[in-house]
Amino acid sequence: MSEDQLRTLLREEPIPGAAEAERRGLELVGRAYAECQPVHRPVHLPRLIVALAVAALLATLILSPAGAAVRDWVDDVFTAGVRHAEPALTEIPGGGELLIQSQRGPWAVQADGSRRLLGDFREATWSPHGLFVAAAATKTLSAIEPDGTPRWSISASARVHDPRWSPSGFRIAYRAGSSLRVVRADGTGDTLVGSASGAVPPAWFPPGLHLLAYVDGERRIVIAETDAARTMDAADASPAVVGLSWSANGRRLIEISRRGLWLRDVRMSKLASGLRLGAARRIPLPAAAVVRAAAFSPRGRTIAVLLDRSPGPGPPRSEALLIDPAGGPARRLFGVSGHLTELAWSPDGRRLLLAWPAADQWLFVPAEGGARLRAIGDIAAVFAPGNARKATFPRVAGWCCASTPGDG
Amino acid sequence: MGAEEKKLIKEAQRGSRDALAELYAAHWPDAHRAAYLVVHDAGAAEDIAQDAFLAAVGALDRFDRRRPFGPWLHRIVINRAIDWGRREALRRNAADPDELPGATAPTEAIGGELMPALAKLPPEQRAVVVLRHLLEYTPGEIARMLELPRGTVNSRLRRGLDQLRDLIEVEG
Repeated sequence: MSEDQLRTLLREEPIPGAAEAERRGLELVGRAYAECQPVHRPVHLPRLIVALAVAALLATLILSPAGAAVRDWVDDVFTAGVRHAEPALTEIPGGGELLIQSQRGPWAVQADGSRRLLGDFREATWSPHGLFVAAAATKTLSAIEPDGTPRWSISASARVHDPRWSPSGFRIAYRAGSSLRVVRADGTGDTLVGSASGAVPPAWFPPGLHLLAYVDGERRIVIAETDAARTMDAADASPAVVGLSWSANGRRLIEISRRGLWLRDVRMSKLASGLRLGAARRIPLPAAAVVRAAAFSPRGRTIAVLLDRSPGPGPPRSEALLIDPAGGPARRLFGVSGHLTELAWSPDGRRLLLAWPAADQWLFVPAEGGARLRAIGDIAAVFAPGNARKATFPRVAGWCCASTPGDG
Repeated sequence: MGAEEKKLIKEAQRGSRDALAELYAAHWPDAHRAAYLVVHDAGAAEDIAQDAFLAAVGALDRFDRRRPFGPWLHRIVINRAIDWGRREALRRNAADPDELPGATAPTEAIGGELMPALAKLPPEQRAVVVLRHLLEYTPGEIARMLELPRGTVNSRLRRGLDQLRDLIEVEG
């Protein structure tokens, strides 16, 4: 082989998806270029005045009683988006990695804000350590790496939904039509678990056994040991349930519906040979509240709930509350005029991501004291490069990675 | 670098999207191809080429128009591709509880003898071969780009070419 022949081979080697890659690259580069264009900055004197004003405001806040007063101020001001939101996603406040579902597919977002579109998938979920993503596209379930490298795919007989990776890392549950199935993490051993309600994604038992909670076709909550294809317990689900969330230690399970939250204690028999569902009891919520979302903290101490409220003749409001499942008083964390649509806990349980589509912002709200609220704007366009005008607000599919469960 | 490219860079620095698009069209194919031939992963190659262009856009206002654009871009691409290859090798060797037992990456159905043969070379050697025989840099230029002694570049080139000759049979 001559050097000319090698040159020809190097020049002619086909690259999979080269034309699409070139197009995507041009969109991204064009967008970055537009963002880099010079802006007219104010002259020094106004900047100094603004800086002094900000310093004075910060001093006022620091010297005033913390907590409720600040939250009230926040509540009064934030009606059309947090002012001075950060204009670009350059880091994830609180760290970790996000999995974001856009119209074009899921994006893996690194802690430094860099992101990668993983492919043409409709739904996706992290593996427990964030090394892989399980993704659904029409009748296919795939495992891919966060850089988009495919590992395997399996075909289903019906549309695939709600992939959920087990905390052990060795199983993936998913729904194919009305069937709930579980497959090993290497793509083998695909087995039927039972019939499933299309409204409720399954939820793995957090302590790591291959136990799965789901709502079946008869609207019962079922706890199944998937490796043995055995039902451990079942009970009538609460009315119109749309979601399930376990406490970190697996001793509590909430059923989420628009009408309310129901909490069950879960008893584990010796050697974890069986789980028993306790009776559901309704968690008290403010009157006339509609539940948008709820989730146990990764630390298991509190439940975050997002409520829509229409308290009077004024505009609708959204509020994020922290609820003590032991019955302590609820704490109002944040509220806005308008609609917050999603919440997600940070992996360490110290922050909540609240989605505010009307303001095109994500809010990173501290669940504990000591941190400041951060808002990041222009979210829709970030996940629709080259198509910013038609961009829809993306959905948070996961915030990786969960901390070690079991502290209450 | 020709006068035309200098003009495009100047216009892009002044805010011309058309000039940027022309620069992109001129340099993307080689940058993407070079990355792909080093990393052997279409997604990673796209990422690397995108990153290089984003770095170029970010530094455009500071770019010295007397310097050629291509080598500057290629240097970023090749170094990132080598880094990716090293990381990938480490990652595949590292045991992790999240590793998928028995799972293997799908092999590409397209392509001929070149990619399997290149795959037998370490990323650093692939990079030298690509810089010399795809992008047509001299060994001296490659040595400066990769911050290697020229003798190392020459020996990597010679060994790489010998190995490829052994692995690829070409008629003619």
